[in-house]
Amino acid sequence: MDENKIEQIELTASEEAEKLRKDRPSGRRRSLLSYQRRKGLYGLCFISLWLVGTIVFFLIPLGKSLAYSFCDVKIKQGGKDLTWKGLANYDYAVNADKKFVDNLEATLLETLWKTPLIIIFSLFIAVILNQKFRGRALARAIFFLPVIIATGPVFKVISGDMDSTGNIGGEQFSTMFSTDLVGQLMQFLGIYGLSDKMGLIISTVADNIFGIVWNSGIQILLFLAALQNIPPSAREAAQIEGATSWEFFWKITFPYVSPFILANLIFTIIDTFTNPMNTVMKRILDKKNEWAFGEASAMAWIYFLIIIAAIGIITFIVNKFIYYEVE
Amino acid sequence: MAGTTSPEKMSRKQLKKLRMQGLSREERGYLRRKAAADKVWPLFRFVILFGLSFVILYPLIYMVSCAFRDRSDMSDPTVMWITRHHTIDVIKDTMKAMNFWETLRTTLLLNIGCALVQVISCAITGYGFARFDFRGKKLLFGIVIMMILVPMQVIALPLYTQFRFFLGRFNLIDTMWAMYLPAMTGNGIRSGLMILIFRQFFRGLPKEIEDAAYIDGCGPLRTFIQVMVPNAASAFLTVFLFSVVWYWNDYYVSMTFFVHTETVATMLTNLDSRLGAALFNNATIQIDEREKIVWKEAGCLLSIAPLIIMYIFLQKYFTEGIERSGLVA
Repeated sequence: MDENKIEQIELTASEEAEKLRKDRPSGRRRSLLSYQRRKGLYGLCFISLWLVGTIVFFLIPLGKSLAYSFCDVKIKQGGKDLTWKGLANYDYAVNADKKFVDNLEATLLETLWKTPLIIIFSLFIAVILNQKFRGRALARAIFFLPVIIATGPVFKVISGDMDSTGNIGGEQFSTMFSTDLVGQLMQFLGIYGLSDKMGLIISTVADNIFGIVWNSGIQILLFLAALQNIPPSAREAAQIEGATSWEFFWKITFPYVSPFILANLIFTIIDTFTNPMNTVMKRILDKKNEWAFGEASAMAWIYFLIIIAAIGIITFIVNKFIYYEVE
Repeated sequence: MAGTTSPEKMSRKQLKKLRMQGLSREERGYLRRKAAADKVWPLFRFVILFGLSFVILYPLIYMVSCAFRDRSDMSDPTVMWITRHHTIDVIKDTMKAMNFWETLRTTLLLNIGCALVQVISCAITGYGFARFDFRGKKLLFGIVIMMILVPMQVIALPLYTQFRFFLGRFNLIDTMWAMYLPAMTGNGIRSGLMILIFRQFFRGLPKEIEDAAYIDGCGPLRTFIQVMVPNAASAFLTVFLFSVVWYWNDYYVSMTFFVHTETVATMLTNLDSRLGAALFNNATIQIDEREKIVWKEAGCLLSIAPLIIMYIFLQKYFTEGIERSGLVA
């Protein structure tokens, strides 16, 4: 009896196995496909919360502001009145609003010379902070301090933005760094031959040391992270070959951190462009406070497109010089 | 003279000389230059670091120095750093003008809550982008990049109307929802950057641990919570700290959405008029602009003190966390 039962069970089992084997090719493909599709669905689930938020709090407002830029916006009781104006707002921003164009030029120029300086400076400091010496932890703590302060209103006060806070302490502070020390030093050294423009450039840079130091906290952090990724074997090899630290920097350190230069460049540009303290931003906000929403939106969009273009060009150029480690 | 025969008894100088003789000219030159650089460089380094540290710390020292001095000291030319009259009255006055404890409570409530929900929502989104393939992923990720690039100022006004007539009837202006809702859905302050960090971080984790969890029959959500999150603890902490700092420092967004709710940052931005109303409203008191500095510096000090305290205790996570988190990839 028992044996019979077992036999029967075995039989049914083998039958089932046969059945399964027949079904398998198509069945397996189906399950694989649905597995992938399922994974895709899971992914969508993971980002769905963000997607809803982005549509409500980002894409719709963005679309609206684009619409405003082509319209004449009038605020009235309980809503807004939009009338189509075409490119008139853009025309106004570029051709009629002299202040906007001037501010734009000034901001672009400032970004153009400040960004490379911030990059060079932060790389230099990162290399120093990566060396071993006494008091390194303290030095690091001090140099990262701007990271937590520089985005806030306190920085507005201490960087001497007197208009908004009426703070004279700031003025007193900023004059401390803008005495003509460099000019006097050069005269002392007997350097008269430099053209005036060159002298001007050098002294502006010296005057802006404060801004540069205070704006390179995150960049130093990123470069330091990159420096710590350099394998010790590379360092050893260079030492055995007798490389000087100068050669070591250019042949080993620089190639390793070059991808981070791009990241830092982009970060710095975004940071300076989107800083509410920069003059173009101020102009846009002023326009907004004058209830000229159409013009303000048009200006914001022009500005935004310039940012995108700048980042695109820089990424394109820098990418040609970057060394990516092949794994 | 016996020293010349046995090397142990030779002085170090002689030993060095002997070793130098065995080297070629280039090698000797290299060593000499290296020795010189090793001596000069630390001094040079110290000067640079000291000078730049001064540039960074100057405003803070000035703040502390001003906040504890009597206002008459501002006009005293002999007072530079050390005050003649120590007082904490200025701090007390400023605290009263800023309604400090009440404001601090609001700020902390807003800050820590928003930072927390924002970190969670951004981590979930970042994980979705890092590990799953779905249609339109590239396009959606492009939107994340856009979120980093578009300044808040561009969308502030439409966003205001959005909150003013939320879902057609609710008015969320001047309620904490105006800050919490975007944070909850991964659209708070600098969310784009955080999503990017988390995506990079989760991509850097080995895929095997997840596969193991899947084989053991773990669903994706459970895998995320039980396997990935514990691995990402340090990244979470770092992003959370930065989020707290950014929310703390934000005044633009809060000033757009809040009318009566005040955070420390908005309070400081309006400190001038507030001081005028609270302290100098008396027409009989004439106070020099220069002497007002003491109150302003005290306000600055008060508003960054909590951040500085947090930084001192958690500094390690600020600086080391970034190195370990995904930005390095």
